[in-house]
Amino acid sequence: MLEIRDLHVAVDGKEILKGLSLNIHAGQVHAIMGPNGSGKSTLSYVLAGRAGYDITEGSILYNGEDLGALAPEERAAKGVFLAMQYPVEIPGVTTMTFLKTALNAQRRHRGEADIDAVGVLKLVRAKAKTLNVSEEMLKRALNVGFSGGEKKRLEILQMALFEPKLAILDETDSGLDIDALRLVAEGVNALRDPSRAMLVITHYQRLLDYIVPDRIHVLAKGRIVAEGGKELALELEAKGYEHIVGQAA
Amino acid sequence: MTAALATRPLETRKAEAASVWQSHGVPHRRIEEWKYSDLKAALGEKGIGAVFAEWQVQSLPAGVEMFDLSLLNPPANVPEWVKAHFAANTGNVMGAASLALSAGGIAFRVPKDAAISVPLKLDFTGPGHVRGLLVLEEGASLTLVEGVGSTSFRNVGLEIVLNPRASLEHVRISPQAGDSVLVEEAFVRVAAGASYRGHFASFGSKLSRMELQIALEGEGAQAHLSGVSVLDDRAHSDVTSHVIHRHGNTNSTQLFKHVVGGRGQAVYQGKVTVAKGANGSDSSQTAKALLLGEAAEADLKPELEIFADDVKCAHGAAVGDLDAESLFYMRARGIPEAEARGLLLQAFLEDAVAEIAATDQRELVRTELLTALKGIA
Amino acid sequence: MSIAEETREQVAQIGEKYKYGFVTDIEMERAPKGLSEDTVRYISAKKGEPEWMLEWRLGAFRRWQAMKEPKWARVHYPQIDYQNAYYYAAPKNTPKKQSLDEVDPKLLETYKKLGIPLHEQMALAGVAVDAVFDSVSVATTFKEKLNEAGVIFCPISEAIRDYPELVQKYLGSVVPVTDNFFATLNAAVFSDGTFVYVPKGVRCPMELSTYFRINASETGQFERTLIIADEDSYVSYLEGCTAPKRDENQLHAAVVELVALDHAEIKYSTVQNWYPGDENGVGGIYNFVTKRGDCRGKKSKISWTQVETGSAITWKYPSCILRGDDSVGEFYSIAIANHFQQADTGTKMIHLGANTKSRIISKGISAGKAQNTYRGLVSVYGKAKNARNYTQCDSLLIGPECGAHTVPYIESRNKTARIEHEATTSKIAEDQLFYCLARGIPQDEAVSLIVNGFCKEVLQQLPMEFAVEAQKLVGISLEGSVG
Repeated sequence: MLEIRDLHVAVDGKEILKGLSLNIHAGQVHAIMGPNGSGKSTLSYVLAGRAGYDITEGSILYNGEDLGALAPEERAAKGVFLAMQYPVEIPGVTTMTFLKTALNAQRRHRGEADIDAVGVLKLVRAKAKTLNVSEEMLKRALNVGFSGGEKKRLEILQMALFEPKLAILDETDSGLDIDALRLVAEGVNALRDPSRAMLVITHYQRLLDYIVPDRIHVLAKGRIVAEGGKELALELEAKGYEHIVGQAA
Repeated sequence: MTAALATRPLETRKAEAASVWQSHGVPHRRIEEWKYSDLKAALGEKGIGAVFAEWQVQSLPAGVEMFDLSLLNPPANVPEWVKAHFAANTGNVMGAASLALSAGGIAFRVPKDAAISVPLKLDFTGPGHVRGLLVLEEGASLTLVEGVGSTSFRNVGLEIVLNPRASLEHVRISPQAGDSVLVEEAFVRVAAGASYRGHFASFGSKLSRMELQIALEGEGAQAHLSGVSVLDDRAHSDVTSHVIHRHGNTNSTQLFKHVVGGRGQAVYQGKVTVAKGANGSDSSQTAKALLLGEAAEADLKPELEIFADDVKCAHGAAVGDLDAESLFYMRARGIPEAEARGLLLQAFLEDAVAEIAATDQRELVRTELLTALKGIA
Repeated sequence: MSIAEETREQVAQIGEKYKYGFVTDIEMERAPKGLSEDTVRYISAKKGEPEWMLEWRLGAFRRWQAMKEPKWARVHYPQIDYQNAYYYAAPKNTPKKQSLDEVDPKLLETYKKLGIPLHEQMALAGVAVDAVFDSVSVATTFKEKLNEAGVIFCPISEAIRDYPELVQKYLGSVVPVTDNFFATLNAAVFSDGTFVYVPKGVRCPMELSTYFRINASETGQFERTLIIADEDSYVSYLEGCTAPKRDENQLHAAVVELVALDHAEIKYSTVQNWYPGDENGVGGIYNFVTKRGDCRGKKSKISWTQVETGSAITWKYPSCILRGDDSVGEFYSIAIANHFQQADTGTKMIHLGANTKSRIISKGISAGKAQNTYRGLVSVYGKAKNARNYTQCDSLLIGPECGAHTVPYIESRNKTARIEHEATTSKIAEDQLFYCLARGIPQDEAVSLIVNGFCKEVLQQLPMEFAVEAQKLVGISLEGSVG
């Protein structure tokens, strides 16, 4: 589903990704781990199409299509979902309004009919329960005054609502305590599906105890320097990044 | 600024106004308060004229008294409440013009403790000068919805007197008015425990200026001003306010948001004065503008003049563009750019609109904003 | 010991009245009273100026005669009689000094009192001083050290003679002759001031500073300073001034022009404690100054830092024209007005080039019966893409008789610009004051402590030597304001 070939990405003129290659098939869960500054967030932003993240070399193919050529909203409509590390607050736009607008915008792009307000509410309610997202949160302005855990749960709620084909989770565990983490992980696991691929980006190994990946890639200094199965996470936990990165260098 | 005028005959007040008007003439950009809104240039050769504009009330709510200000002669027929409050202020230049050059206008009064639930809808139409007076007696409450008709040039002088514990919500919607030159001065006096809420939604015109002079004169008096403007092409909109905390323990807030496209120009000049000894006064002002057009312009001047020390006064002003982070978030969730911008613009204006207490009016302003924003984006 | 250290010590000894209330009893040479073309010629002749300079002055004078004094600032003062003053005063034995031995000993004593020891110890401290006594620079030290670096630091009268091309190129290019009433007057009758030129690539090896004072009664000070930082250079200039007690108001209409070329940086710091008038509002200096910096080059930077505690009336807006792309302008200010002082001060940041940035931090303190106004302009012109401004403007009121006013003008004509302005006005919190008192800190010291905390952000911008002196000054100028 996702084929990244020798990707070089520059931010503000500075090269952050220096030749990254990766293949993810439907039904798989891949994890990207790496020390700070390795380029993890850059990868997630360039996949979502954020301005300022320029592909200088290489390519990203999504189901055979050049992802780099698509605008962010087009990628979303085609099933790409990025759960952000720092979800932005948007005062003046209620959560419910946002969800309805986004859902219908994506449907329109795919030629599907809009779902009316009542319908959206039903859909949202169903998913909101398991993630502990209250009615009150839905009425509040998007992410305004939400705690870290609430923001992350809302990200996963959106993932459940939009039913993406490729879900990228950027440090979803940052700032969460054990209980919140478990809840979020359960939400993510519930969305595992043979037709869906997931890319879990994390700094710490513990998230991967809950969301067990099929394959782990270690990103350091803009490149993938090690790959392995889920045991690699334990090895990193025990020996640290320097060891693995050092070995690969 | 004001004084009990029961003793000064109307002719004296008119004469004072005429003399102020004559010595100043039409304001232009070299006059500090008019530097961003050159009225003289906007009027061009036609000048200010002395035609009389009209007023219209579709249906007078029960319990509200009305008096036609063109019937000020003979004085014996004039009710006491008009004599006491009409034409109190003659110092403001355009206010003096409206008094000297108008033939009349309309006055309303809400009696003591009357809570009028139906809004009073007052429209000013036609070219020229006209006056208005609204007096709320102790404990009275009313919603005033003011309509602003298009015309070549109109100057409205409006006086509002809020007696102790009275409460007024004033909503003025000024629609897109092409080549119109529209000027209005509102002089508001707020007594102890009384409250004035004013919301000014403006869609601009060749020159559109709303002046507010609000005096908080007694313990617990409050003024809450808010406004939105969505300007396109060459539309101009100027809100110039002066809130004076004459008495201690008074409170004022101001929240103005502007979205400026095309070659529009948004102006906000908000001056807050806290008089000596007015301890316990609290005031805050926020003015923000988003520029969307290549030649759009915003001029913000929130001014503080403080003579008492035991006060809390703050203001903030900002001009910028839509937040890139928020825009990306929305697009990454599938919302097309144009729609995302629209939503964010609406969100930007929302808190100023939320200040309108009267539900119908709030919805009306929201709808007007949506339409105007669609035109701009 | 450096200048600032000595001054600091003297300032610390102050518990009494204004320290610098004395007059040096030296024979003065003066131009005849009044202001006419002859006065201008007199001044020019005394300075031995070339013809082009005299013409420049005369041009300015003629323009001045047709101008009207501005009345828009929030300050009130009795009408100034421009004919009732002397426009030139110099100690009689003037001409250039090769060494300090040649300087009039009485003058040197004056400098000692002011805490400006013109001796070799200062060289060790690395601070060069251009000490201006009234209208004539007496001794310019450390010229040699600076000459080695190629830095020109001399009185402007000297620069006019020795570096005429530089002066002609830049004088009046930042503050045009007709810019405003007082600047035009200055252009006609300026008697001296500082000239600095830092060549390409040079980082000026020492902080440059100037002390000057007004001595002869009824002589206005018309200093003219011109600082040019050529490409890739850096200079930090300190200006501090004092003046003796006087009963007649004295006019100080200086002009400061700064030019920063590509990648150059000028840091201009001022600690000003001109005589503010006594507790009854009598006397005091009128400080009507025009200061402006032109960030002409790409990535150039000019920052103004000032601590203003003196003058009866202050009218000044150190400004930056952000012309070059990526240029930066900064303004950090503490303005204190006590007793009957009036201040209408602030800054103008004019964004013309692309990606320009400006930062304004202004702290105003009012006490006694004083009136303190901040007047600022942030203007983004149509072509100023991505301009960024942040302004924080806070006022502290001490007592019920004073006033604090804020008048910011925010004008934007470019949609990519971001301007943010915040202002607050409040008084010293009762609980903060009580806390200090309860811990044994006497009232005045407590006020000083709290006010210094309020001003911390600005004080941090001052060069070390000044920062300490400034802190003391802040405390002293507010003595007796609470209670």
